[in-house]
Amino acid sequence: MKDRLLTTRDYLKSKGATYADIRYVRTTTESVKVSNETVDTLARDLDQGFGVRVLADGAWGFASSAICTLGEMRKVAARALAIAHASALTKVRDVSLGPVEPVVGRYETPVAIDPFKVSLSQKINLLSSVNCILRKSPKIKVAEASMDFYRTEKIFVSTEGAIIEQVLTESGAGYTATAVDAGEVQRRSYPNSHRGDYGTGGYELIERMNLKDHAERVREEAVALLTAPVCPAGPRDIIIGASQLALQVHESCGHPTELDRVLGTEVSLAGASFLTLDQLGKLQYGSKIVNIVADATTPGGLGTFGYDDEGVPAQRADLVREGLFVGYLTSRETAPVIGRTPNGTMRADRWNRVPLIRMTNINLEPGDVSLDDLLVDSEGALFLDTNTSWSIDDRRLNFQFGVEAAWEIKSGRKGQLYKNALYTGITPQFWNSCDAICHRDHWHVWGVPNCGKGQPMQTARVAHGAAPARFRNVTVGVSR
Amino acid sequence: MIGKDKIITLLGDTLALNLADQAEAVFAASESGLTRFANSVIHQNVAETQNKVYFRVAIGKKLGVASTNSLSRGDLKAAYRTAVKIGRAQKENPDFVSLPGPGTYPTVETYFDRTAKFTPRSRALKVRSVIQTAARKNCTVAGSLATASGEVAVVNTRGVAAYQPLTSASLSVIAIGGNSSGYAEGLSRDVEQVDVRAVAKAAVDKAVRCADPVVLPPGEYEVILEPAAVAALMEWINYIGFGSKAMLDGTSFMCGKIGQRVTGEAITVYDDGTDTAGVALPFDFEGVPKRRVELITQGVAKGVVYDTLTAARGKAASTGHALTPDSSAEGALALNLFVAGGTSSLPDMIAGVADGLLVTRFHYINGFLDTPNAVLTGMTRDGLMRIKNGRLRGGVKNLRFTDSMLRAFGTVKALSIQRQCINAWWDSLGCITAPAMHLGSFRFSGQTDF
Repeated sequence: MKDRLLTTRDYLKSKGATYADIRYVRTTTESVKVSNETVDTLARDLDQGFGVRVLADGAWGFASSAICTLGEMRKVAARALAIAHASALTKVRDVSLGPVEPVVGRYETPVAIDPFKVSLSQKINLLSSVNCILRKSPKIKVAEASMDFYRTEKIFVSTEGAIIEQVLTESGAGYTATAVDAGEVQRRSYPNSHRGDYGTGGYELIERMNLKDHAERVREEAVALLTAPVCPAGPRDIIIGASQLALQVHESCGHPTELDRVLGTEVSLAGASFLTLDQLGKLQYGSKIVNIVADATTPGGLGTFGYDDEGVPAQRADLVREGLFVGYLTSRETAPVIGRTPNGTMRADRWNRVPLIRMTNINLEPGDVSLDDLLVDSEGALFLDTNTSWSIDDRRLNFQFGVEAAWEIKSGRKGQLYKNALYTGITPQFWNSCDAICHRDHWHVWGVPNCGKGQPMQTARVAHGAAPARFRNVTVGVSR
Repeated sequence: MIGKDKIITLLGDTLALNLADQAEAVFAASESGLTRFANSVIHQNVAETQNKVYFRVAIGKKLGVASTNSLSRGDLKAAYRTAVKIGRAQKENPDFVSLPGPGTYPTVETYFDRTAKFTPRSRALKVRSVIQTAARKNCTVAGSLATASGEVAVVNTRGVAAYQPLTSASLSVIAIGGNSSGYAEGLSRDVEQVDVRAVAKAAVDKAVRCADPVVLPPGEYEVILEPAAVAALMEWINYIGFGSKAMLDGTSFMCGKIGQRVTGEAITVYDDGTDTAGVALPFDFEGVPKRRVELITQGVAKGVVYDTLTAARGKAASTGHALTPDSSAEGALALNLFVAGGTSSLPDMIAGVADGLLVTRFHYINGFLDTPNAVLTGMTRDGLMRIKNGRLRGGVKNLRFTDSMLRAFGTVKALSIQRQCINAWWDSLGCITAPAMHLGSFRFSGQTDF
């Protein structure tokens, strides 16, 4: 395969491409889902193909195909060139790329237990046993437990001389108990909602989750929510649980720091960003204890890899330092706009999509307080846990998140349970109200396997390190 | 295009290995191109040739699914064998009765050669005309123009052999002025039916009219929702309410309400995969024929959509709404939704508002807040306008809404005769054909800075 890619690369050089890269991607996916003790998903998919990205006549062209013969590659390369020439019809200036050292290298996710070699029956039995525990209450109408595994093999070659091979393995699992009674629907999930938690690695990630150990608590909390009062509306101090805070980082820091979005090229779908170029190095994004980094080298993170899909090595970059907004996620095309070098965040969803700036592991760095001490210091505050709903405006300012459960903190413990809790705010005001972040013992890198961006729509697997944190005077609920 | 005979033969030959009690092959192929623009420049221009074949097998009541994007006979047979291996490792699914038998499919025109042959250069020229239209009003534009052709086929060992060629064309335009924006879109299976000039003009006009938006406080407002706004609400109502999984799980607002009033009398919603006013397809991904399915009629809950598996569980018949086998755990979903129109027009509806708002579209809606009450939240975007004394009075800074749609749709004052087919934000959720809607009350819960 590598030889075919190199031959196609040479063909593009001979046809006058200013720059070209060719990616071959082969992805194996396995999904298992058990609902109410019936296996409703047990599927394996094999998907392979290649994509050709060409810069010619000062503009971009991209073409792709699932047919991986040399003849098809030449045909698709010619199509990509023709598309680049069509794109040039509207160009104002030539696209240029920041320089990078062409890499010849290889990266492979460290895997202790190959998830594709673990038997289907072992996976089904574990998920079924979780189902059994969840369904011990008749109020639990639906118990759903699932696992997903991905293996992505990539070869990247460029006209600049890069030749990179990668094998990425990603694994994840989770479950949800849905309690239904008298027109009320409530859910609790473990280790997170929306199919659970994910990371790079093998089946050892699933074993570490100790899925069965939490099922009884999840069941009882879901049932208790059915009769819990609705969370009262009004301004409150809140402590946000780590998995929910991970999604808050995702929507209100990760997306707005994507430099392509800032420069307007995502306006047609999910919008732009309030973090405009004039804010860089000036905006007090959060309080002094807020430090956020993009780190594609975080061990086990779902956004961890060796090289991005432009051949730039994975790296760590500051986005927010002591509350000050200091950096963007960048690409070879966008980094020169702010006078910087690319920080390796261009990734494509499989072979048939063009790389875009995507989050890697966007981590809120841990603070210095224990959760116990934070609870003792937060009398009357609400503890909000596990996402149910998410929404944010098209510049990433006004957000609203709903959570599965909320507890009022009384005497250093979780007291009254509330249902249907949500909180809302404006991003910089919210992050500036953060006055405590729990320390590393409570910090975890949460995988988000379904980040949508781009047209045609692309789904990226990204992650966010987070620990529980406290925010002052936040609007909770919807006042009438 | 590969063609009906070749595809049916290829799938049939693979299934002839006869490795399971029943087996099904679902084929989906596409040749697609998308030209994306921003800041009045084409910044992304892509083409894709993709095939996908899903095999679903039944060994007794044990089901297995495997898929591949290779059409080589060897790889197809390997995928089929993998499905059988998975099926053997399965537990029995008590809901499985049988794969469907053959049906009669309505004749629906879904393929237009001129769409299939639309080139990247043709797309770029159309985009250039959009850019020029905007420039004349000192606006820049962002958006996309996509064209695609494809083939869908379903073959099973019970005699189903369904095939349909497809094309689609869609244009979305956001025009951006100094401190305002406007939106318009077009969608059709025939690229010539997408009026590029009209879409561009509508987006630019809206951006110009919304210049210097004013701040209004959140609260309860009388509103006119344009078709794109109605469709965005209906996309979520559909997902949380009209699918078989939501119904069977007990999470839908339709649960226990069939035959009862759930919202205003003016609201009629149905799905019809045979109506070419939407993006039609005459059968589902199990090869079951499509037909019109009533969901809400004059405010009364009538039913939801099913595939064969969930129909058995719900003691109903399949309505022809199966998804591809890899997504079957989602249950059945309505992918060609229609909201019935009324007798009014958008100008007449605006003229009937003394003090209210016009919403062009919504952004980032979420409907998981309280599904039994169909509570949604989301933001307005690209054209929120003040209506005063029956006239549009300029732009308003965007607002967040949080409201029960069952309640809000209970306040319908008028619906337009004219309807527009709108792409769902998530491509996999199909399209919604909707009128403009005049609501007496809609609850906004927050605001933003632009």
